[in-house]
Amino acid sequence: MTRKTKAVQSLPLHVVLVLVGAVMIVPLVYAALSGFKSTAELSSNPFGLPEHWLTGNYTGILGSGDFWRLVGNSTLVAVATTVIVVAASALAAFAFARFAFRGRELLFTFFTMGLMFPFAVAALPLFLLLRYLDLLDNPLGVILPQAAFGLPMTIIILRGFFRQIPGELEEAATLDGCSAFGFFWRVLLPMARPALGTVSVLAVVTSWNNFMLPLLVFTDAKWWTLPLGVAQFQGQYSSDYARVFAYLVLAMVPALAFYSVAERQLVGGLTAGASKG
Amino acid sequence: MGDRALSRRGFLAASAAAGLGMTALSACGGGSDGGSSDGTTTIEWWNISTTEPTHTVWAGLAKKFEAQNPKVKVKIVQLENDAYKSKMTALTASGKLPDIFHTWGGGVLQQQVDAGLVEDLTDRTKPWSDGLLSVAKQPYLLDKKMYGIPFDIGMIGFWYNKALFKQAGISTPPTTWSGFLDAVGKLKAKNITPIALAGKEKWPGMYYWAYLAMRTAGIDALQKAADNKDFSDPGLIQAGQHLKDLVGLKPFQKGFLGAAYSTPTGQAATMGNGKAAMELMGQWAPVVEADSGKGLGSDLGFFPFPAVEGGKGAITEVFGGGGGHALRKGAPQAAVDFLKFFASEATDLELVKKTNTLPIVPGAEKALSDPNTKAVQAQLKAATGFQLYLDQAYAPAVGQEVNDSVAALIAGSKSPEQVTQSITKTAKEA
Amino acid sequence: MTSTFLPDRRTDSDVAPTSATAASSRGRARRRLLNWLTAVGFQVPALVLFIGLVILPMLFALYAAFFRWGGFGMPSDYVGGDNFTRLFQDDVFLGDLWRCLLLIALSLAIQLPFALAMAVALNQRLRGRAVYRMLFFAPYVLSEAITGVLFSMIFAPGDGLADHVLGSIGLGGVGGEWFADPSYVMATLFLVMTWKYFGFHMMLYLAGLQSVPAELTEAALIDGAGPWQRFRNVTLPLLAPTLRISVFLSVIGAIQLFDLVWVITQGGPDHHSETMAVTMFQYGFKRYQVGYASAISVVMFGICLVFALAYQRFVLRRDLEGATTTMRGDGK
Repeated sequence: MTRKTKAVQSLPLHVVLVLVGAVMIVPLVYAALSGFKSTAELSSNPFGLPEHWLTGNYTGILGSGDFWRLVGNSTLVAVATTVIVVAASALAAFAFARFAFRGRELLFTFFTMGLMFPFAVAALPLFLLLRYLDLLDNPLGVILPQAAFGLPMTIIILRGFFRQIPGELEEAATLDGCSAFGFFWRVLLPMARPALGTVSVLAVVTSWNNFMLPLLVFTDAKWWTLPLGVAQFQGQYSSDYARVFAYLVLAMVPALAFYSVAERQLVGGLTAGASKG
Repeated sequence: MGDRALSRRGFLAASAAAGLGMTALSACGGGSDGGSSDGTTTIEWWNISTTEPTHTVWAGLAKKFEAQNPKVKVKIVQLENDAYKSKMTALTASGKLPDIFHTWGGGVLQQQVDAGLVEDLTDRTKPWSDGLLSVAKQPYLLDKKMYGIPFDIGMIGFWYNKALFKQAGISTPPTTWSGFLDAVGKLKAKNITPIALAGKEKWPGMYYWAYLAMRTAGIDALQKAADNKDFSDPGLIQAGQHLKDLVGLKPFQKGFLGAAYSTPTGQAATMGNGKAAMELMGQWAPVVEADSGKGLGSDLGFFPFPAVEGGKGAITEVFGGGGGHALRKGAPQAAVDFLKFFASEATDLELVKKTNTLPIVPGAEKALSDPNTKAVQAQLKAATGFQLYLDQAYAPAVGQEVNDSVAALIAGSKSPEQVTQSITKTAKEA
Repeated sequence: MTSTFLPDRRTDSDVAPTSATAASSRGRARRRLLNWLTAVGFQVPALVLFIGLVILPMLFALYAAFFRWGGFGMPSDYVGGDNFTRLFQDDVFLGDLWRCLLLIALSLAIQLPFALAMAVALNQRLRGRAVYRMLFFAPYVLSEAITGVLFSMIFAPGDGLADHVLGSIGLGGVGGEWFADPSYVMATLFLVMTWKYFGFHMMLYLAGLQSVPAELTEAALIDGAGPWQRFRNVTLPLLAPTLRISVFLSVIGAIQLFDLVWVITQGGPDHHSETMAVTMFQYGFKRYQVGYASAISVVMFGICLVFALAYQRFVLRRDLEGATTTMRGDGK
């Protein structure tokens, strides 16, 4: 039973939060506003409100089918990557957190080694490997490596959270005749929603912003993801910076929107996860 | 407790969708082959012309070629500059290049040739490539064989603001190095920033050293040093000293060490907004100035890099380069035909008129209208010697080392001797 | 109040069965095998992906580090440990190591505590809490390209927003020339890094804080503990696993920092903001000295590995003695 605490009213706290919030948001507002200006105005009036609100930059991009196809591709790749990496990681992290088996710590260290390897160097050999497997110009050629590289961090985070689930729950489930997988599926996962939400958000964001891997894998523009489109756009309109800003801001929106939805899940998991069974 | 059920259902739904999606994806994935079906040949053309108007004009040219050659289809793959370079590295490593691909010639092309991946075009193109501007062909001539056909050519020179020069009392652009340093002094005296430089990108700074090297040590010095892997020629060290003298005058704009080239606060914008009097840049300078800044219009002038008194080089020697196309080994005849089409006078006229390139076919010169472009063209035609951009002419490692070392010289952390020593060291290791 | 939160560690050898007949010990062995198989079975999907797409390329890069290789064809010019000796004589690389340490120190001393403070602040019932959370996390969601361009403009010397704002409160010139200034570039870079990444750590802490049962802090409150005591004695220990992960990821991230640096400064001016990963990228993709670049990546990997092993041994050891159970069908 939780006691309702009244909302915190401290003024200094609010001041600090507002200040920090301002620092966070000002660059974004700057970018958004710049999208409404003409490029010449960017040098002459960089920080004020636009003299004339040019919606052309934004509407031009939103109106082009290209942009939406890029968004669609990015979404497909991000969702697929996330589902695979969270599923595989949850299974593995569960085993790490709740089982004692020979070679466990060694295996865990093995996975964490993946964190220590910079992707850029694996890029070239990875490209050759994907070519050999005929996965170029195929979304799987991006999804699978992204999931693979996301495993270490996801497993680490999930293992940490899975450990916090009390052992008594597990005993109770076993007494009820529940198998390991049954416990995993029916009890542990729902309780770990904050953690699952967290790693999903991370996986989506990482996938969304990944540039190098899609660049190497996708030649055919029909499969391009958003960062490729951004780079192309930047290259194409490199001097029309106002338009580039508009594009960058629009490219940000889906990721932010996803986060705002996922965030509510995190909060929702608050009461479900913490109470003892 | 309803929450838990929902989340599980959600998860199941997502994985089902992903699973279905996956099967669909793997069915439609797969690379594109330049195969022929029903007798048509498809050739892939990789280029970097993502900016307007070039993007549209080139697409139009591809269509024109297809109209003239009904059995051929041209598939265009376009990437922007850096993305293109990364992708090409990967493709070269995997041993399969596109049919037609953009190239800058020089060291990178040499490496691809050495790997046996590039078609030798000497014999197949001789009849029509002989007439092209000789300066333009230089970068693609390796071991006396032609491995690429140019589509444009350019050179580096000083672009200056006539109005600011007048303000500082400089009546004619300098033709000697000491005259140049004088001019810098006069500009500073009037509180005008003499030179705009993109310190962050390194290659604009390299231009100064390269030209000084050419002027001081002679036109062949740079190529010889690379061939012998020895940059200890005293002329090259002297060139570094000249650059150091210039830097000592503090001629650059505030914050130049972090300035980029084409951003709204970069070198071109500084020039284009009239905030600096000169920039040492290629023939594309006016366009970029007008794009990232306001552009100087008729206030913009051009003068070649001055001669260095007592140096072995001449003011008519040119530092430049351009773009060209090369073919992969074993590319179909249609690809060679495309090269011929692209280098024809008709095509060149269109390129000159619509995309502001400098002509490589002598007949296309008549399309030039802008006085500055004409001045650059005149220089190119009268060139008595040519040196390709160092980061293209040299093996990539050496080219990068030149950029890095010169940037260090400009920042004050390396001496002229150390510059030549580092470059020699890298040349020996590469 | 002791916490019954962390489950006891139990292994097969600790929990002695009460009956010791031969039949039962055979059953035990079989169960142990089954246990092991189940555990490993859970690992299979992850293992397949990981070995195939991460380990294999990694091994190849390790192989290439011993060659002088331009990236074309297969490596053929064996040079033994040459690349490595060159590496440790290279001033730029040694500087990279130093800058890496600097970043780690700054992150641990400033960025993480700040993220924790924000997480604690936002864990309370506060008006506009959801808005703040989204705002603080938003920068993490941005791509490095956007961030880079944005802050290049903001920190443009003289004309940028930063100088404008500082000038208007009388602190003009504080940051020197920001990214163009060799002495200030790392500090400016760290500011941008904090802006972009602290939200990530804050989110980790928030999720961890939300798993702290409210009853525990309330019980402490009833016992008369003040807010700092509650934090230190109840929240912090329970948050410890999350903190340890956060520190781990932060250090590894600092060692591998690339994207942001590349977009903003490319390691300049004059190598003053260069990181190991930037140097590696330069040599691998610009200079086509892929063998040398591979050597750099091997060194980076080695550093991370040593850190990870030491970390696991000395810091995470307590976790090892915690949370494990076995799934035994007999319910003992």
